[in-house]
Amino acid sequence: MDAFLEGLMTSLQPINIMWIVIGGFLGTVVGMLPGLGPATAVAVLIPVTFGMDPVSALILMAAIYYGAMYGGSRSSILLNTPGDGSAIAATFDGYPMAQKGLAGQAMALSAVASFIGGIMATAGFIILAKPLSEFALKFGPAEYFLLMLLTLSAIISLSTGRMVKGFIAMFIGLFLATIGVDTQSGVYRFTFGIPHLSEGLEFLIVIIGIYAVGEVLYNFMNIDDDHKKEKKKVGKIWFTKEQWDRSKWPILRNGPLGFIIGVLPGAGGSIASMLSYTTEKQLSKHPEEFGKGAPEGLAAPESSNNAASVGALIPLLTMGIPGSGTTAVMLGALIMLGIRPGPLLFENQPEMVWTLVNSMFVGNIALLIINILLVGLLVKILDTPAKVLYPIIIMLAFIGTYTLGYSTVDFFLLLVFGYFGLVLKILDFPIAPLILAVIVGGDMEQNFRMALTSSQGSASIFYGSPVAVGLIVLTALSLCYPLIIKAFKRRKQQTE
Amino acid sequence: MKKFLFVTAAAALAMVGCSDSGASGGGEEFPQKNLEVVAPASPGGGWDLTARSVQKLLQDNDLVEENITVSNKPGGGGEVGWKYLQGQDAHTLAVNSSLVLTNELLGSSELTYEDFTPLATLATEWQSLAVAPDSEYQSLEDLMNQMKKDPSSINIGVGPALGNDDHLSLVQAAKEFGVDPKKLNFLVYEGGGDVVTALLGGHVDVVTTSLSEVKEQHLADKVNILAVSSSERLEELDDVPTYKEQGVDMEFPHWRGIMGPPDMTEEEIAFWDEKLGAMVETDQWNEVMENNDWSGFYKNSEETQQFMEEQHELYTTLVEESGMAK
Amino acid sequence: MKLFKIGMPVFLIALSIVCFFASLNLPRANLGNANGPIYFPVGISIFLFIFSVIYLVQEIKSLHDINEKISELFSGRTPLLVIATLVLGAIYALIFESVGFLVSTIIFLGLLLFLVNGPKKWLVNISVTLVFSFLSWYAFSELLGVSLP
Repeated sequence: MDAFLEGLMTSLQPINIMWIVIGGFLGTVVGMLPGLGPATAVAVLIPVTFGMDPVSALILMAAIYYGAMYGGSRSSILLNTPGDGSAIAATFDGYPMAQKGLAGQAMALSAVASFIGGIMATAGFIILAKPLSEFALKFGPAEYFLLMLLTLSAIISLSTGRMVKGFIAMFIGLFLATIGVDTQSGVYRFTFGIPHLSEGLEFLIVIIGIYAVGEVLYNFMNIDDDHKKEKKKVGKIWFTKEQWDRSKWPILRNGPLGFIIGVLPGAGGSIASMLSYTTEKQLSKHPEEFGKGAPEGLAAPESSNNAASVGALIPLLTMGIPGSGTTAVMLGALIMLGIRPGPLLFENQPEMVWTLVNSMFVGNIALLIINILLVGLLVKILDTPAKVLYPIIIMLAFIGTYTLGYSTVDFFLLLVFGYFGLVLKILDFPIAPLILAVIVGGDMEQNFRMALTSSQGSASIFYGSPVAVGLIVLTALSLCYPLIIKAFKRRKQQTE
Repeated sequence: MKKFLFVTAAAALAMVGCSDSGASGGGEEFPQKNLEVVAPASPGGGWDLTARSVQKLLQDNDLVEENITVSNKPGGGGEVGWKYLQGQDAHTLAVNSSLVLTNELLGSSELTYEDFTPLATLATEWQSLAVAPDSEYQSLEDLMNQMKKDPSSINIGVGPALGNDDHLSLVQAAKEFGVDPKKLNFLVYEGGGDVVTALLGGHVDVVTTSLSEVKEQHLADKVNILAVSSSERLEELDDVPTYKEQGVDMEFPHWRGIMGPPDMTEEEIAFWDEKLGAMVETDQWNEVMENNDWSGFYKNSEETQQFMEEQHELYTTLVEESGMAK
Repeated sequence: MKLFKIGMPVFLIALSIVCFFASLNLPRANLGNANGPIYFPVGISIFLFIFSVIYLVQEIKSLHDINEKISELFSGRTPLLVIATLVLGAIYALIFESVGFLVSTIIFLGLLLFLVNGPKKWLVNISVTLVFSFLSWYAFSELLGVSLP
């Protein structure tokens, strides 16, 4: 307890508050830009942190990390171009809200949802860090495979009315994920002799290509048609009581859900936010409004992905195991500073851990304020004439792509996926299954094969543990739930 | 993690090289412009951090007057960055590791160490073999006997790719015990961290990884390290026996170094020898090594040249025996 | 228009067949299960084929329904803008490393703006191009330390 209070005092020192605010602001900004994510931001800051006090450096990096979760959804809402995998779910209802002239309300709501998710997860960190890190260890290859299967099936279940297209999109994504060196055997698959492809297709390029470039190309379609787009109203910048009433329970439910998924190394914000979205759609009394600007459809994944980012710090700090790209970079930076995260960190340097935890409380409050203040500024983006805005988005997409791989080979991939995205949008294909399949596909295959290798080829490993059975049940539910609901409604109608 | 270390070392080297130029250049006109250290990886990885450490140390210690930049050229396990280096002059260096040998042996690259000028070996990490504390295998011998009896009965965690030092160090040890390395059951995880998680969760029986990944866990009694690949026991882990003590005649460094483009002049090589040699003497370099769990392994350009030849021979055999040869 | 509607499923079917045979031709693994690397891609190609055939059938059934978006794609300046953006992007990719970030970006963004926004607003175009090119160069290269050519 003493260490906790000491940590609180340390995190409230003006210099540390300054780092929190700088980090949070920087995170928000990089989160908004396509391609530039928290991993890049933390990495480029490493030389800066060389001379810093290790505690301040840790606070700064963490603030960038969860700050990016706040920022990530801004561009999803305003431009339908998510900055990162975990912001994809925010496009589903965030962008429709903006199109209805509710951009300000959507951003305010997502900031509050992120805030609550972050605070809940930080509290969860204090109470549950140790037991949860033990729980995460129970996830072996079989369990990871099933978790990814659950995610994909949940996303497919979203594409009601266009199931076939949803499946096609998913299989294309899965196939793209096989590009690169096959981890389990070292065999090169579909790299066409391009060294740049041997590490696989960077999923962010697919996201930027399909969403950012594809969206711009799609919008070229009626760019000269000024009648169609009457000036978009920006609306109020604070959400209504009705929106809040619809969102508050989803926010509270999905914070813990995202937190727990975040603790699992390798799962992360993309899976967390996607599962939260589908859960809420299935629980909702009016699922037909999802995808058309339902406030809870935005609030739930926002709460969840922010909580997941806090959860991902648990395996990093308690076991020294990075659960995501960003935490891997943070681990590298911490080692440079002479901090060795691992089982001994809590015993040897408790004040450092508690300072970080307390800084997350402070940081989330700071980010809430920053993001609400930014709403007024950001909605101005919508006032920019589209004909000027689109070329700028394209340019940002290229630069963002360059920072991912430092290669112009990626530019061609970006263009291919941009065009592909345009075609998919015109033909009304759901995009999310494709993207998620690219994100999880490689791990899914690898975990599947590792599971079979470790069980000497016996399939029993896929139902051999309570966690595995639980995941199978959830997968079955997510696939059958829409059918059950349909049957239920039909019967209800008949009795009426 | 390993990459990280490697990069840091290389970075440190680069910095050293640069700083001397002003002071000791004398009659030599090298360097004439700003210097560049290539990290053949994305920012934040091991190679990047090595490059940035070298950059910082060379400049902070005034070893090099010219400006030093770090450029990231990730892709193909170093291939992209090294290919770039090939076309540069002596003002550009790149960090490297045993991948500069194995890429070619595994058939993923045409480039090999002979296409470059070795400048220095900076530091090394050691490899380790670890099991759960309550494992039925309490010594290297126990484990190897079981592997000999039934090679596929033991699940071995390795990452991020077969053919790396984690994998090949076990291949070398296994061969000494008469185990067929081709029949072993490897589970390939994304990285050293994931391998350790898998061991802690009981999803694999044994892991082969760099020492830094398991050291903290060992100190906390969460894992038991059976063997370390250094020649002598390490100070911080004096309860962990070496491979040598357990009857395997091998020292297996996981080294990181720095190299230049092909066809460098003697003066240019001498310049870097001096700068990098001075860099590894600095206190900051010791700190970098300590933070990263590296051991001093400095070799100058001439020694590195010889070392590379030995390593190339060793790796050729190991890759062959692992069943991974192209 | 009808061609476009049928084109996609036919393309997908062709793609799945290509993927199937490409997967079968992958090198086999030296270690472990020799066929390990091909199971997933082969399986995915088969599923992709099945669903593409269902999709084709659906499209043939609804051939006469009008998809407004497709007709919009071929109306007005849209095809020009789409193709020009792709071509400019490709040129940008080719000159990016040799010409350097600043120059190539100014050319790319400038041309794109003139194309989309029209030459009449040349003042806006030029100022936006210059401001954004320098701003992004400064932000990435100087503030974030990203190594740009």
